[in-house]
Amino acid sequence: MSIHYQAISCREFAKFDFMHEFSLAIEVINLSQREAAKSNAREIQEITIEVGDLSGVEADAFGSALDLLVKDSILNHANVKIIRTPGKGICKACNLEFEMNHRMAACPQCRCFPSQINGGDEFRVVSLLVE
Amino acid sequence: MCETCGCSESGEFKIHDLQHKHDHDDHHHYDHDQHHDHQPEHAHEHNGVWHTHSHDQTQQKVINLNMNILSNNNRLAQLNRRFLEGRKVLCLNLVSSPGSGKTSILEKTIQALIPIRKIAVIEGDQQTLLDAERIEKSGAPAIQINTGSGCHLDARMIESALEKLEIEANSILFIENVGNLVCPAMFDLGETKRVVVISVTEGEDKPLKYPYMFQSSQLCLINKSDLLPYVDFNTEKTIEYARSVNPNMEFIIVSAKTGEGMDLWYEWLARQTK
Repeated sequence: MSIHYQAISCREFAKFDFMHEFSLAIEVINLSQREAAKSNAREIQEITIEVGDLSGVEADAFGSALDLLVKDSILNHANVKIIRTPGKGICKACNLEFEMNHRMAACPQCRCFPSQINGGDEFRVVSLLVE
Repeated sequence: MCETCGCSESGEFKIHDLQHKHDHDDHHHYDHDQHHDHQPEHAHEHNGVWHTHSHDQTQQKVINLNMNILSNNNRLAQLNRRFLEGRKVLCLNLVSSPGSGKTSILEKTIQALIPIRKIAVIEGDQQTLLDAERIEKSGAPAIQINTGSGCHLDARMIESALEKLEIEANSILFIENVGNLVCPAMFDLGETKRVVVISVTEGEDKPLKYPYMFQSSQLCLINKSDLLPYVDFNTEKTIEYARSVNPNMEFIIVSAKTGEGMDLWYEWLARQTK
């Protein structure tokens, strides 16, 4: 059998990738650049991003990462608005809807878990204000 | 282009009314210090430098996207998945903490199955070619991806690896992810199934501490069973915790070192391609 064996360096796109939230911030910048180009926008003035409390993304760390990375990108002058959505769950046993502050939260009524996540796992770009 | 701040002065690109409404009830704002109101003719400060220039009328518009930030990764992962399915390749994404024995499991698996199955491996590590060298010695083609400072593999890296790895039809492709129970959970690579490895030298509460990873995996290999007599690891408790976050999870207790339980793993692999 022939042995294929080589290394691929991914450093060019992992330059700032020392933390999970940094790679996500890079995704946001790339997505914004693509969408702005599609509508011939010259600048993005505001970007609204929704980060659910159950999305696995630390909103504060993500905001700081984005702050550091926007320089020289189309988001350089943009106001970054991060909306945090609280986690919501529905108990599979008693159907109670309750606020989940983490994925493993048990139903406050019957202590059952895991519950069905019914909101708060969003991680998306809601809108761009461009010109 | 204004050379001081980079903002454009050309015809259609004008007033930005950046008088944003700030609602602090449930929003977090990360305002940049470049923000300012633009008047038709004005002086303003960018990064400490005052200058004047003119801005005409603005043509602002809102683009409503509601777009998943990982949509690009997910799209590439779907392309990888289609590529692999087209070749009837069973692709398994192995995830775990560092040191759980993923590479040792792969070495044993390759040695046992290479006479009867075609196997290829994509190795993900921050640095070094060491793991790919180990895989190579056990007889399977391997590609090493060094993520540099990156903490996980993503679909784009797998796409480039697939371009280099001449994967044969009906083979098993193992992707050994970067040792990390956090970030790899969020990145679909296009795998058929995800296998999480935990070793008995770790705490049995790992499934509760890292629920995302255990929720997104279909099989849990509990490795280093040969060390069970020497450590306080409660296997039943681990299974109970993992089932509490993922009721459909399957478990196989193995020792890559002694070979114990490895037959069950090989049987599981055979079942996936039936």
